[in-house]
Parts: sequence; structure tokens; C-alpha cells
Amino acid sequence: MDGEMESSFSEPATILVVDDDRDNAVIVRDLLEARGYAVVVAGNGDDGLAMFDETRPALVLLDIMMPGRSGWEVCRSMKEHPTHGRLVRVIMLTALNDWSDKQAAIQTGADDYLTKPVGFEDLLTCVKRNLALVGPPV
Amino acid sequence: MIPSILLTDSCDPGLITVAARTPGGRVEVRPSEELAASIGEFSGLMAVVVYSSDAEVLRSVVERGRLYRVPTIVACASETHCQAALDAQADEWYTLPASVEEIDRRLWSAARRVRAADVAEANRLERVSFEGLLFDSGTRVPTLPVMIERTRAVFKERGELIVFYLDFIRSAKIEEVYGWEKMDEVLATTADAVRAFVSREKLGDARMTLGYTHDDDFIFFYIPERERQGASEQEITEVTRRLQRHVGARLEEEHGEDVAAMFDIYVGSAPVYHDPRVRFERLIYRAVREAAHTARSIEQRQRSRKVTDLRRLLHDRSLYVEYHPIFSAENGRIFGYEALARGVARTLRSPEVMFEVAADADLVWELSRLCRARAVEGAAAKLDEGQLLFLNADPHDFTDPSFGDFESIDPRRVVIEITERTAITDYPAFRERLNALRERGFRFAVDDAGSGYAGLGSIANLEPDFIKLDISLIKSIETNFIKQNLVETMVGFAREQGAMVIAEGIESAAELDTVKRLGVPLVQGFFLQPPVRGERRGGGSAGEQAANGDRASARAAARRIRQAGRQLGRGK
Repeated sequence: MDGEMESSFSEPATILVVDDDRDNAVIVRDLLEARGYAVVVAGNGDDGLAMFDETRPALVLLDIMMPGRSGWEVCRSMKEHPTHGRLVRVIMLTALNDWSDKQAAIQTGADDYLTKPVGFEDLLTCVKRNLALVGPPV
Repeated sequence: MIPSILLTDSCDPGLITVAARTPGGRVEVRPSEELAASIGEFSGLMAVVVYSSDAEVLRSVVERGRLYRVPTIVACASETHCQAALDAQADEWYTLPASVEEIDRRLWSAARRVRAADVAEANRLERVSFEGLLFDSGTRVPTLPVMIERTRAVFKERGELIVFYLDFIRSAKIEEVYGWEKMDEVLATTADAVRAFVSREKLGDARMTLGYTHDDDFIFFYIPERERQGASEQEITEVTRRLQRHVGARLEEEHGEDVAAMFDIYVGSAPVYHDPRVRFERLIYRAVREAAHTARSIEQRQRSRKVTDLRRLLHDRSLYVEYHPIFSAENGRIFGYEALARGVARTLRSPEVMFEVAADADLVWELSRLCRARAVEGAAAKLDEGQLLFLNADPHDFTDPSFGDFESIDPRRVVIEITERTAITDYPAFRERLNALRERGFRFAVDDAGSGYAGLGSIANLEPDFIKLDISLIKSIETNFIKQNLVETMVGFAREQGAMVIAEGIESAAELDTVKRLGVPLVQGFFLQPPVRGERRGGGSAGEQAANGDRASARAAARRIRQAGRQLGRGK
């Protein structure tokens, strides 16, 4: 297994990517898979929530601006999940970068954010530092 | 019926071939501008294939397609056309010229995607409505219909049941100050406490069931033993009292006195007797209403008693002040104290509750004046040379002409904290008053900074000398990178403004480490030192002993602050 992974699980950590921009999602997926992570992709908020329930990812990369259910709503639903909500780390992907956005992100329970367009290095740093904080399953 | 019609704006022979593969399949052609509107005309639409590159056409077709659950596929003639399809969030696209196989593949892939989304949503809705109907998602407590089913048989056998209703009154501020997560935690603690109470208290081997009304109130049923005469009035009152105490104590244990003081629990009860002529459900619902009503009337009585308590407090000046030290993050010395007023009466212990009662009774000015006066009186003995006194004020206080008339303290040693939460209505007048006070030497702090969406602009407007970060930014900051980023931004901003940032609500070593690393110069919180009483009751040696205790705990805090971040530094 890739020595760079910092998850405490023996299984590779599952990362869920929720982005309505398919090209973007595919690039992120390929990059993370190349580093040994297991990645699942959802194209909108509803699919994202269904997959969250199914795969119980350690980390979610979540786009904010999506048609239908917004990233805010999705994040909050994930964090309110009765068992897995406390364990998952949610990283918001946003094109905006102001105070109110970050404040809103905190209030929905998000743990980290990345500004779009996302650079590969930033993405990996962000994923690693968040997985490092994921505890063993309770 | 199998969807078999392809709707399009161009008569492509490839499409006709594809459509012909489905039994009864055909192609319907409409002008581009009419495509979206035509979607509703057909039942059994397989897909819409758009050849137009017009953004408006694409957008309207995709939007209407979503509504009717029909996939939209774009046939693209160029790169920019593809981009337009992506921008419009079409379900699929292919580049022209396309083979029949390619078109077929794209059609199926789009259809699959739309179906998958449908199924996911249907599953989710079903799950939510099923689970949400039976159990509250946060506390996992069963809802009333579940309780009724669980109780039906036993009730029939024993013929009597008592409904207890826990009316959970919370200060309006709890979610505002601590966030919804805290509220959820508090409700979970309450549910656990009631559960524990129910299983511990045998109540003559009675049977209890716990339920939840989806608001923040709880219900439980108590069925007395068969051989007994039924629960006496006195027994019920006794249970009620014990329950109230038990839940209150658990809240305080789990979340601290400050949070616990923001809650009140009132318990009402109503008996239900077996009556074969009336449906069990109706008997129960009626009793729940009655019990709720009893709980509410107790609450009403308590509320008017609180106003009486407050009037007495104002008359007797029965208010004491606690001083919460603010430390320098650099050297661990006490930089100043924030004065916190507390009512002597237990019902008025929390300042939030005290001020809510005062607002109801129109006594806010009087209460504010008393709080400030008491804080300043006690400060003389508390403050060492150079230390500052932080006083909380509401923007409304500023209209009080006597505001700032303190005889026993130099205004230059007073910092007035104004909360970001309260809307300032008359800005010019407010600023004028602020400047007048500033000229007399008072300094200002923006309290709860960064709690709202307002950002830094509104803080800059007040030209504060200190910026107190909202507790929500500090809680678990060590694991939240967004909070770290916001605090770092605020520290930089404050430096530019010539203000100092204070991180309050520090409850752990990890939080202290993190804010120190982010460059926050001033720190405050229970982890360092809890608030200390100004004047100690009894005076003499007892008072001296207490003062010694405070000094020792301040020294311990200084040590913690100096040590904070060292581990972190070594790790790197």
C-alpha cells in the first residue's frame, strides 16, 4: 500500500467525491486512486447522500454549488447522521473565498475547505491532514 | 409502457435508426425554441436530443427534462458546443458525426443516470419517512405512535396509566450562542438522563416507556403495578420532583453550569383509565395534551415568580460578580478580568436568563446599571496594577445617560464589550456616543466576533481595541481547519487595525495550543481558570484562603499557557 496514506485503517480510506462537474470529479478521482485511496463519485447531492449511507466514507469532498440540494444541505445531513456523522470529515469545495462562506461552512459542520480551481498539491495536503484526524471506528 | 419516443430539434437519420430498435419507437421533431415546452406533451418520452447550441434552449430543456425525469443529451458540433452542454448540465453529450452505436450508448448512459437518481431519492425518502416516523434521528427515542403500540397490551391488562410530560424550556440564546450541535447534544443528554431515571427508579416495579414529541419535549408512560391502588397524588409529585432534579444534575455534569442554567424542565402529568368505549390512542392523546397543559401552567407560575425574584434582586442588590481572567498568551500573566454578573437566587443564576426575565418585565436598564455598578465596586480589590476590567454592555445601554459614570475606577482601565449579535439600529447616534466615551478614556471590544456572516467590515466600523472571537470559532478548533483559517484571518486583520484578539471559551489544551500557534495574543477559558468570585462570603481567614486558592490556580494557568505549543514545536 502507498506509504503516504496516513489513515489508521488497514483498509484504504474511502473518499466520496460529490461534484456535479463530472470532468472535475473524474480528475480528482483518478488522482486520489493513483495514491491508493478508494474513491466513489456522486454527481449530485441526493446521490451523494445515498452513497454516503452505503459506503460510509472516511472523508467527503463536497462541491457547494450544485443544482438541487446544495453542498451546505448535504454537509449538514451527513453531519447529522446518527452514527457516522461524528466520524466523517467533510471538505467543502468552493469557488468563493469570503468570510460568510467559511462561516456558513462551519455552521453546517464542515471540517475543511478547498478553493476552486483545486491544485493537486493542495488537494493531497488537505486530504492527508484530514485523514490523519480520522479516529479508528468506534 | 416502455419509453420509446425520442424528441429532438433535428432530423438526424442516426436517431431514427436508434429509435427503431425499441418496439414502437419513433422520433418527434420540434423547432429548438419549442423543445422544452414539448417535453410535457408526450408520455413515454425516452430522451430529448438537442442539436441547438443556444445556451437558453439548452438550459430550458435540461430544466424541464429534470422536472419530467427525461434525460437530455446534446449532439455537439464543436468544442464550444460541448462546453455549452456541460454548462447547462445536460445528462450526456456526444460529438458529431456520431455512429449509431455511440448515440445508443449515450442514450442509455443518460437514462441510467436519471433512473439511478430517482431510485436513490425514492429510497432516501422512504427511509427518512419510515425511520423519522418511528424514532427521532438525534436521540433515537421512539415517537408517540411507537409508544402507544408498545403499551397497549399492558394498559389493557392493568387498566391505568399516567402520562408524564417534560416541558423543556430553553433560553432563546442557547442555539445562538452554542450552535445547533450543542442543542442536539443537550437533547441527547436529556434523553439519556430520562432513560437512566426510568430504569433506575423502580417505582414499585412500574413500567415506563419513553417517547418524544419531535419538538424538544419528552413524554413517558408510567403504569403502576396491578395489585396496587394506583399512584397517589403524592407519589406522582415525588416522582416529578426527583425527575426534574435528576435531569438538571445530569445536564450540569455533562455541559457545565452555564449551559445547564439556560434550561428549565417542567413536568406535568395526567392519568388515563381504561375505558372500553374510547379508543386507546384518543385516551392517550388527550392525556398528553392535559399533561402538557399542566406543565405549561407550572412554567407560567414560575415565570411570574422569576419576575418577582428579579425585582427583589434589584432592590436588595443581591447580585454577585465573578471575574473571569484573561491571560497573555505570551507570558501567562493576567491581562485583565471580564466581569460576569450572577443572581444570588438560583433561578436567576445565569446572566442570560436574568436578562431575558428583565426584558419581559422591562427592567433591562435597571439590571444593567446594577451589574455594572457591582462589577466596578468589586474590581478595586480584584485588579492589580495595569490590569483591565472588561464589562459587558448592550447597545441599548448606551442610550442610558448615566452609562459610564463610574466613580471608583479610571475609565482608561475599563474595556466595554459590545456583542456583534445585537443589531445596532441607529448607527450614527451609536457611534457618536461611542466616541464620546472613547474620549473619556474607555476602550472597546467587539464580543462574539465572527459569529455572523457579516465578516470583518462591521467590526472595522466600530474601531475596536479588542476583538473577542466567538466561542463557536474556538470549540474543537484543533481539528477544524476552516476555523483555524478564520482565526488566522482575524489575527491578521486585528493587527492591521491596531486591535488585539482574545480567544475565549478555551476548554482544552489542544484548543490553547492551536490558538497560540495561530498568533492569538490573549486567551480566556475554563481550561485556564474558571471565573472567580469577587468578594468572598465570610471574609477573614475564609476569604483569605479562597483568595490564595485563586492565586494558585492562576499560577497553574500561567504554567499551562507557557507550556502550550511546545509539544507541537518539538514535533515538527
